[in-house]
Amino acid sequence: MKTYEDLEGDGGSDIIGQVTELGKTLRSRLDKIKHKVALMSGKGGVGKSSITANIASCLADQGLKVGILDADLNGPSIGHLLGVGNDIKLEMKDDGMEPGVGHQGIRIMTMDMLVKTADTPVMWTEEADATAVWVSTMESTAIRELLADTNWGELDYLLIDMPPGSDRIDNIRSLIPELAGAVEITIPSPLSQHIVTKSITKNNKMKVPIIGLIENMATYVCPHCDKEGKLFDGEDVHKLSERRDIPYIGKIPFDTRVSRSQSGNLFYKEFKDSVTGQAIAEAVDNIQKFTTK
Amino acid sequence: MKFLCIPCDVKMEVQVEGIMPEEKTNLVMQFKCKKCGHSIAMLTNKFETEFVSKLGVEMGGATSVSKAPMAAVGSSLAQAKEELQKTNPEDNLIWTEEALERIKKVPFFVRGMARKTVINFATEKGVTTIDAKLMDEVREKVGM
Repeated sequence: MKTYEDLEGDGGSDIIGQVTELGKTLRSRLDKIKHKVALMSGKGGVGKSSITANIASCLADQGLKVGILDADLNGPSIGHLLGVGNDIKLEMKDDGMEPGVGHQGIRIMTMDMLVKTADTPVMWTEEADATAVWVSTMESTAIRELLADTNWGELDYLLIDMPPGSDRIDNIRSLIPELAGAVEITIPSPLSQHIVTKSITKNNKMKVPIIGLIENMATYVCPHCDKEGKLFDGEDVHKLSERRDIPYIGKIPFDTRVSRSQSGNLFYKEFKDSVTGQAIAEAVDNIQKFTTK
Repeated sequence: MKFLCIPCDVKMEVQVEGIMPEEKTNLVMQFKCKKCGHSIAMLTNKFETEFVSKLGVEMGGATSVSKAPMAAVGSSLAQAKEELQKTNPEDNLIWTEEALERIKKVPFFVRGMARKTVINFATEKGVTTIDAKLMDEVREKVGM
């Protein structure tokens, strides 16, 4: 009786051929992007998406072509921050979907663009007995499609706004083996620092280069007098970076204008000379030094 | 996964006709021996079906369904925008709303095959409109 190896092909589905084809599509997309950087935090609510958007703003301000993949499928906020609403008309072409184009020409792809209405949650079935396996399966598939089926075009930087936690990095790492690295973001609170260490440990184990640690909401800056004050009690984040042997690449003060500037632009674009704006620029400078070394 | 016809010692081929998933989570596929004509059906439970879907491929070979951008997201998202839910009606047949709704419910990785099965059946019968009744007939014919 014949064995598996004796039988050519796979019975008509050509699964290997199809997987190879999917890989080629992804590769052709990624080859046009110079640097891919993931932005992560252990804990939610530390301002990761806001930092991502403003890092993109700073890069775009230098004349670079920038895109953001919103990998936070269930809590997407990049569309909102970049001014791309849910009412955007999707432009489907044979070779991919056109990205949303936000402030400063930053290209984005986010689940918010794909669901029916702005308040529609991302659900992979409306049946009550949806299994965790199914949801997890679809989330991995969705990340691949958002990355591979978006017409990103030529980019200098693709920033990947990761969901809180560290579970999705496995997915990103396998899709983008040449990932330049991950930026870890924490606030000074002991809880946030505790959780971000898990993300750092995981990245070390998975050999994902860590570009550095950003301390967000490090202080509070008065928008009227630029005076700084302390927001959180906790161990100095410099100590965490020393303990884990990763560079401390940015100390970004909290500024109330960061969530919504008056002109509708991103905070950095409008307030680049503020204390917080300059801190963002310093973090970006460190990221660029790492990715271009 | 491959299937071997033991008496003939040849590989069994997947059949376009013979796939009609009852719901999103179960799958039925028919394989046939080219030599002796013997057929078998592969039945998968929802966990096995979910595993296959992760690959982003289509059973029975790639069709325009999986080649469309965001194919899996568009067909699996419970409330996706209309533009994402195209059913690729590149044939000259008329699909009623109900028939389109039913074909949309077939998982994307077997939808191309399911469409081919329905279209072949309609063409054989000489009908130009595909409705829910015709799809019921297909299901009955393929015995799934």
